[in-house]
Amino acid sequence: MTNRYVYGIVESGADLEFETDAVGGANEVYTVSHRRYQAVVSDIDTTDPEETDEDAKRHDEVLREIMERTNGHSIIPMQFGMAFESNRALKNVIRGARPAFRRAIRDIEGRIELGLKLVTEEDADVDREAIEETVADALESLAAQSVENDHFSDRLVLNRSYLVEEDERETFDDAVAELEDHPDLEDVMVQYTGPFAPYSFVDVKIGAQR
Amino acid sequence: MASPQRRPDSSSLAEVLDRVLDKGIVIDIWARISVVGIELLTIEARVVVASVDTFLHYAEEIAKLEKATADGDLEDLEELEVEQRPESSPQSASQ
Repeated sequence: MTNRYVYGIVESGADLEFETDAVGGANEVYTVSHRRYQAVVSDIDTTDPEETDEDAKRHDEVLREIMERTNGHSIIPMQFGMAFESNRALKNVIRGARPAFRRAIRDIEGRIELGLKLVTEEDADVDREAIEETVADALESLAAQSVENDHFSDRLVLNRSYLVEEDERETFDDAVAELEDHPDLEDVMVQYTGPFAPYSFVDVKIGAQR
Repeated sequence: MASPQRRPDSSSLAEVLDRVLDKGIVIDIWARISVVGIELLTIEARVVVASVDTFLHYAEEIAKLEKATADGDLEDLEELEVEQRPESSPQSASQ
């Protein structure tokens, strides 16, 4: 188990060493630091972990646990599967991508991601534009940012992620509750999910030039 | 009339998979295994800007970065799209 599976990047200073069910069967999470950034990792024996539902869930659960432990300080979440060959390779990436991490943290600091999906019955006739407008009026002003996700089904009227201040969570919850009672949304099903690490609000890709 | 409190659901596997497998930072396998002499290439497809102040700060950072790149430093910045979002608040949060 000499490879390192990385969950995300935090600014140094947080005490993040704990036992948990980690990806790939490991049971301890700890950090590897390079100057002002720490990667939160667990040991793994591959650089190409298999995508299983179970490990994907663990990845997310470890990130949630980190969010609780850092008490609102943000973790920049990695996509599933970011396993490094060695601490050296990992530190090299932390060093090289510092400016990108700094900007990402500035965007998401103290904020969480919440998801909202509105789904209609099959063949239901709903006024999509009116619904979109009603939802935007209710929620956009409460979010620092929002982004529309894929509409993989015709029944999806809305599939949106919101970046919300941790402190505004309850206000946002209340606004969603009110939305559910809105006459425009009578014929749609509301799926309100999260809180997630702000996956949808970091868009950084790091490659190596060969 | 108290409306029942609405809590987001954190247990949906589909929602987790949508995010974990598709979003978040991606690091190329070569950057994850190589050590000696590799040059990293960082691509930020979207930078969120909360205020004019922050924007100016970004512009300054980017200028520094580009200079560093021209001087042969590690970072390279291939694509940068700055989105101004005046509706974002509170502005001080990003300082």
